[in-house]
Amino acid sequence: MAAKDLAIEVRTKESINAAGAFSIAILVIFSFAFDPLSDSMHEFAGGLLWVAFAFAGALVFNRGFARELPNECLDALLSSPLSASSLILGKALANFVMLIAVELISLFVFGIFYNINWAKHTLELAATLALATWGIAVLGSVFGAMTVNLRLRELMLPVIIYPLLIPLLISAIEFTTILLGVDPIAPSDWLWLKLLLLYDVVFTAVSILLADTILVN
Amino acid sequence: MREKLAYGLSIAAAAMFTYTLYRIFLMLPDELMQGAIYRIMFFHIPAGIIGMIGFFVSMTMSIWYLSSKDLNFDSLAASVVEVSVLFASINIVTGSIWARIIWGVWWTWDYRLTSQLVCVLIFFGYLALRRAIDEPTQRARLSAALNIFGCVDVVIVWKSIEWFRNNHPGPVLSIRTGGGQIDPRMDHTVYLNLIPLLLTGIALVLIRTRQEATAREIDSLRRLAHAAA
Amino acid sequence: MNMAQNSTFLFYGFLAAWVLMLFYVISLARRGARLKKELEDVKQLVNSSQKDRQKEIPSRVR
Repeated sequence: MAAKDLAIEVRTKESINAAGAFSIAILVIFSFAFDPLSDSMHEFAGGLLWVAFAFAGALVFNRGFARELPNECLDALLSSPLSASSLILGKALANFVMLIAVELISLFVFGIFYNINWAKHTLELAATLALATWGIAVLGSVFGAMTVNLRLRELMLPVIIYPLLIPLLISAIEFTTILLGVDPIAPSDWLWLKLLLLYDVVFTAVSILLADTILVN
Repeated sequence: MREKLAYGLSIAAAAMFTYTLYRIFLMLPDELMQGAIYRIMFFHIPAGIIGMIGFFVSMTMSIWYLSSKDLNFDSLAASVVEVSVLFASINIVTGSIWARIIWGVWWTWDYRLTSQLVCVLIFFGYLALRRAIDEPTQRARLSAALNIFGCVDVVIVWKSIEWFRNNHPGPVLSIRTGGGQIDPRMDHTVYLNLIPLLLTGIALVLIRTRQEATAREIDSLRRLAHAAA
Repeated sequence: MNMAQNSTFLFYGFLAAWVLMLFYVISLARRGARLKKELEDVKQLVNSSQKDRQKEIPSRVR
């Protein structure tokens, strides 16, 4: 499932291009809001990055299930032997990979524009990116499926998803700011990473449980 | 029958309000440090409690709907969410007004107010989703799923924002501290005022649920009319 | 912070709580009235289409 979506993406590059451009645009716009080369930039760095990623993510999910609408591909998928949860997880995996690609590009650009060294704690940063992006991808996939047939789909999805994502974004922002900052990581800071893990586990479980409810034909 | 129950509850609530309002304004003294404004707590705290409990009650209704497929549970869930959003909003607005006097600012991003705000946002999404789906079974099914996601998230939201910010007055009600922190008359009044607010909430839910049932009746009659035509 | 301002804000607080409640009750009442009217209309529609049906049948039997 994921392989199919990724194959389409690699050939057309539609989502990654749009999301990547959008993310970089946000970074540029914010450079006018704050002084990008000041020392206090470290405090905003995490927040700025995750705002950009969250909004770019919305672009990716909107395409996710909408892509299946023409030619009734969605019905075909639903009647296939694939279970609903593997459908959703497959989409989530594809979204995850695409989002990570966008994030890596953005991180690179961000480091240049804002003079932030993000290679200090690469392992922890990678873990944060992976965990937080998975959470965003799962929720985006589930609610993308839920809203695919609604009118005002593009409006409904952000309205529903962003409040739900708040705890995930808080944790990601907090920990990323710490990782990009000058102080060493305090023992109490690992709380945020644990919260990210908890969030992922809980919501992946709930998604699997409710997949049949959401995608029944 | 349900209407009579709703009226009965409203009258009981009104009667109790006269007693509690008398207590709040005429029996209790001004608080030492806060002056008169603390009296708003008697609405702020119970409204918050009812809102929170309401969200979880609605999740139970949603789960019940998913297992029984009885649309009455879906109507109940939606009504409870609406009324809970109302009470949570009252909690936020009264909290903000209290904050203006005590802390000097309208909004402080303290963890309890912020968590309550996020919950209201989540359930606004629920209500928006319901408005966007016309077909009753699909609407019931999808909003039930969202309700469950929402309530699970509510728990995580509260914990995460608590760790993120900590500004709110700590627990003072006897239920959390075991007594001795505040004047027991004030303590009791908070719980006392919970009752009429709860009765009002239940009355509103009953009325709203009845309206949902009527809407379904209209829907099926309309289909009958089209079939007969 | 003086007593007057304190009491004023207390009043605003109570006002806000009751106004919100009132808004909701009024919207419920309006929705109820609209639903009642719709129900009457649809019931009439069903009755009239059933009467039309009944008028048709004798002509077919003939």
